[in-house]
Amino acid sequence: MNSIEEKLWSYIDGTCTADERAAIDLLLVENETYQQTYLELLALNREIAGMELEEPSMAFTYKVMENIRAEHARQPLKTHINNNIIKVIGGFFIITITTMLIMVLASINWSVAGQVSVPTVKMPDFSGIMNSGVFKGFMFFDVVLLLFVVDGFVRKRVLYKQS
Amino acid sequence: MQSKLSDIDLIKQTLAGNQAAYADLIKRHQRFVFTLAMRFTKSREDAEEVAQDCFIKAYRSLDTFKQESKFSTWLYRIVYTTAMTSLRKKRVDTSSIDDEETYIQVENVSSGFDTNDVENKSRSFYLNQAIEQLTADDATIITLFYKGEQSLEEIAQTLGIEANSVKVKLFRARQRLKEKLERNLKHEVKELI
Repeated sequence: MNSIEEKLWSYIDGTCTADERAAIDLLLVENETYQQTYLELLALNREIAGMELEEPSMAFTYKVMENIRAEHARQPLKTHINNNIIKVIGGFFIITITTMLIMVLASINWSVAGQVSVPTVKMPDFSGIMNSGVFKGFMFFDVVLLLFVVDGFVRKRVLYKQS
Repeated sequence: MQSKLSDIDLIKQTLAGNQAAYADLIKRHQRFVFTLAMRFTKSREDAEEVAQDCFIKAYRSLDTFKQESKFSTWLYRIVYTTAMTSLRKKRVDTSSIDDEETYIQVENVSSGFDTNDVENKSRSFYLNQAIEQLTADDATIITLFYKGEQSLEEIAQTLGIEANSVKVKLFRARQRLKEKLERNLKHEVKELI
């Protein structure tokens, strides 16, 4: 349901249709309630439209720009690096490595490749060490150390949850 | 002295690295942004903090501004969301923009006022007082419509609601403002409006 005021606000704002406008025009001529309400709303509308905006402090713009400058200064170096430069450097190395690889492969004499013998490497024997008392003692020390670290971690979590 | 360049030109210059252009943009919009922030915070200190935050946020995401709407509409959207977040952080009670029926009833601050005082105070004082007594949403919608040079569609964009809802909310906000004025001024309101 459209109240008188709702209709009149639409009329004042210019958001009503042409037919509605014509109807209200007629009512404003004939109906005293409409006339009085219209004048009240019109005056209120004028008052609101004429209200002053608030003024921030004199240094407002300066403070904002200082914050922006400080933020720029704090930005990590990686944000200032031009990605194109990185791409060019990367491209240079890829081309160099590929060229060198092609040159090396081209200089290999493939006909004698099957005759190359790989030297045998003699590995030390660890079986004695694994069974010794020194190794068992070392493992025992490691287990104690691990329990100590786990205990510290659990204590920290409990304290964090309590806080 | 403020630049005569358009907002879009100033944005282009800012994106090209000219920080002075952004300072011009701030000077151009600071009064409205600050007023809008005041509607939420009701305190000059907090409003200045919110307004500063808005301009910094806008600077950071200036390159995402697509120019599909006015810069002011885009900026006011930032102000609205920043101010709402600030309000929530401070746990100040405010009604939702979607909740029309619940609004804060501020007690009549000038009950038992002296008639001579009323005559001495300016009309804008009473208007500002009544606006301060409105909820943040009501005060914002009135400010955007009257002082932000925003159409109903642009306000809808700023508040993230339908244009028809804006029309209804604007009507109700003005009704409440009228009631506050009447309550504050009692008989004097007849002379004021």
